Amino acid sequence: MGNNTKQKLTVSASEAVANLRKLYPAVPRAAVILGSGVNVLEGLLNPIVVKYADLFGLAPSVAGHSGTLTIGRLGQGADDPLVAVLRGRFHLYEGYDWETVTLATRVLIEWGVPNLLVTNAAGGLNLQFNVGDLMVLNGYRDHLSPQWQERGLLPAVMVEPTDCSNDLTAKLLATGAKLSSDDSRFKPLQKGVYAGLLGPSYETMAEVDMLRRLKCDAVGMSTVPELLTCLGTGTTAAAVSVITNVWKPDEVMGGHEEVLEASKAASRRLDQLFRRTLNEI
Amino acid sequence: MKLRYAKRIDFTGQVKEFAQEAAFGESVIKMLRDKGKAEVAIVIDRAYGLKDDTPYLISDHLNLSGNNPLVGPNDAIGQRFPVVNNIYLDANDTMDQEETWSLGNPLGKMQYAIAAGLHPGVTPTDAELEFIHKLGAKLYCYNLVPTMIVAAHAGLKVVGVALPEGASLRPDILATLLR
Repeated sequence: MGNNTKQKLTVSASEAVANLRKLYPAVPRAAVILGSGVNVLEGLLNPIVVKYADLFGLAPSVAGHSGTLTIGRLGQGADDPLVAVLRGRFHLYEGYDWETVTLATRVLIEWGVPNLLVTNAAGGLNLQFNVGDLMVLNGYRDHLSPQWQERGLLPAVMVEPTDCSNDLTAKLLATGAKLSSDDSRFKPLQKGVYAGLLGPSYETMAEVDMLRRLKCDAVGMSTVPELLTCLGTGTTAAAVSVITNVWKPDEVMGGHEEVLEASKAASRRLDQLFRRTLNEI
Repeated sequence: MKLRYAKRIDFTGQVKEFAQEAAFGESVIKMLRDKGKAEVAIVIDRAYGLKDDTPYLISDHLNLSGNNPLVGPNDAIGQRFPVVNNIYLDANDTMDQEETWSLGNPLGKMQYAIAAGLHPGVTPTDAELEFIHKLGAKLYCYNLVPTMIVAAHAGLKVVGVALPEGASLRPDILATLLR
């Protein structure tokens, strides 16, 4: 509802970029935006950590998001890539407007970061998926952007999913295939279409069935703003979903321990996938 | 579950025994969040897009409104990410031995439908209506879905009734909903 909208931004993308340039002389080769519960790329070399509150004038309020941007090298070599890791994001369901939700991505674009990897935790719709699978997005559905608040979702559901495959998604998939062939413990990557819903309530079973009819493989409440914002810019974006549950009608859901373990294993594989990919781009 | 203390909301203007609301909004949210003995909200909304003029019990919904009434800071009455599955009551779930055996189960004779919740003011074209049906919904309405989401967040179950223009509820059904 309109009166629940959070405070407006006080920092522009240009101001945030100017601050980042003061903090760090070089532009990272890639940035990574991490969703809740996804822990990868810890231990960057000589890191500089900036709090979102200091950089953007706002901090995310959802548990599991630390709200920091870390800049550092992946390894000790002079050729090792410089990366920026953003932990946490602003969501539309919290009442933030589009400008706020896309601020971090707009900053990365204006800073000149050429590659962006986005992660999220998502519910699995594809019945071939399992908890802990990693899905590289080759398409998405936008069911969350503010235009639908004015018109409803009918125009959004009547179109095909948007293809988002590009050089970076191809690189992720190729790297994943190599990791799987080198080590049988590395579960093969999935690929599929992500449905970005507004939330914050979860899907009804009728909505799960609808999203399957609309060719979606996973569902969550983020990522689509970042992908839309990168369209037509110098930043190439790719996204990976960590599948945290699978909507199956007749199956007892795994206990919390099992889900936690699967998420941890998924984070380890995602870490390998990102390190190898970032070293090769 | 007992319907005795249910919060009863009518958006059709036809069921005068219920609280009358013109549209979903702040007063509906307040009513659903007010503490009391209610376990259930009974919501009657106007049904559109049907080929017949039969009232339906709602079994589930598609939120196609593009919005969600819980957007914004979370109200402490419920979870940040509420699960909204199995919120709509089956007719049999409304049978309470003490209250209702004498009435039989008139709700059980009603047919079920999945409702699509549309954005207020949006009237679907024929092609859009066909697509709504293809997505699994038999009818559409404007107030039921946001009302259900707020009710579920507040810990209530929902009896959803979709009433097409020109139709009315049979007296035994109304008596069951009012008991």
